Amino acid sequence: MKALILDGSRKEDSISACIMDKIQDILKKRNCQIKALILRDQNISSCLGCFDCWKKTPGMCVIDDVGRSIAKENVQSDLVILLSPIVFGGYSPGLKKALERMIPNILPFYTKIGGEIHHSARYEKYPKMVGIGFLPSSDQESETIFKKLIERNSINFYSEKYSTRVVYPNDATEDVYKKVAEAIAEVID
Amino acid sequence: MSKHVILLIGSPKSYASTSNALGDYLIKKLEKQGFVSDKIYIYDAMKTDKDAVHILQSIDDADLLILTFPLYVDNIPSQVIALLELIFKHRSLQKEPKKQKILSLSNSGFPEASQSETAHAICRKFASETKIEWIGGLALGGGGAIGGTNLEDVGRIGGGVRKALELVANSICEDKPLPDEALKLMKRPLVSPLMYTWFGDAAWKKAAKENGVENRLYERPYQASEDS
Repeated sequence: MKALILDGSRKEDSISACIMDKIQDILKKRNCQIKALILRDQNISSCLGCFDCWKKTPGMCVIDDVGRSIAKENVQSDLVILLSPIVFGGYSPGLKKALERMIPNILPFYTKIGGEIHHSARYEKYPKMVGIGFLPSSDQESETIFKKLIERNSINFYSEKYSTRVVYPNDATEDVYKKVAEAIAEVID
Repeated sequence: MSKHVILLIGSPKSYASTSNALGDYLIKKLEKQGFVSDKIYIYDAMKTDKDAVHILQSIDDADLLILTFPLYVDNIPSQVIALLELIFKHRSLQKEPKKQKILSLSNSGFPEASQSETAHAICRKFASETKIEWIGGLALGGGGAIGGTNLEDVGRIGGGVRKALELVANSICEDKPLPDEALKLMKRPLVSPLMYTWFGDAAWKKAAKENGVENRLYERPYQASEDS
């Protein structure tokens, strides 16, 4: 099984290294082939909103940078793990930028899913999605928004299964491990 | 003294965007009622740290922030999140940050305005964490029907949106909550979803044909390696 980890943490987010370690431990125990990207170390351009990836170079972003490779890695993975500080309920700008560059992986054409209009799938298979967010302290509203966001993304990116967990700095190491392990098990077992 | 409104345009398409068209119409209505306006195209403006300082100074001057953006991946665009983080940090350092209000105004390529709810929840959360008064969020579905055209020029299909924004401008000037009628008018599809998706699909095919790739629209460039 191939797993892609997209780490959208900022330099000051010391907790992210601990969570990343746990994610990798769990995936290694499951014999996963892991690709982990710390997005702040990557030079990723912002999506231009040009939609040339649909009408000029179908399926491929016109910007030739890491953002393009991430879209490729994503569609070739069985599992994608989105790790991010929860910023106003959503992702960090770094993670969001990478996700916006995945738009080539879907088609421009419309289809109906659960009574709503969405863009059609370009591929037959997409990775399952796990969202691991972290917050400095308990914040129910942020958690609710974050969970909803992962759910919505799983619809638009055709993830057959998704799960979400939120980690806090005062969580014991074994609790962090448990949260991450449960989130991964929920989508792949 | 005149009140100051700043329009923050969160589309990478900047001037040519539907976000600009919507925001521009609203601030013109506010200007008619005495507001002084300023405009920032976030993607053009946020290129260096110096730019960020300039943006924050302009935002400090405003009484009202209007944030317009396209829905990208169920959320506000990445550069907009970056700006919101900057505003949050900037205001956290101020002893007595200015009393301000914020309104968010989204448009999406999906016919259902409801698909933007998560993005507006994020804007609302930003407002509460930053101690800026939240006026509300207006969501437009099927923004492709406007396609960056000035609202005055989109004819009959833009009637509901224009009316909604006029009602919003009046409520802001009278310091009243956003009227339900404005929220309903904004949510109302510009054209029927069936027509929107049919014309949308046809427009993508036409654009691909113009680029000589009409037979490649369904390509899966990353599929080959997937099988290997």
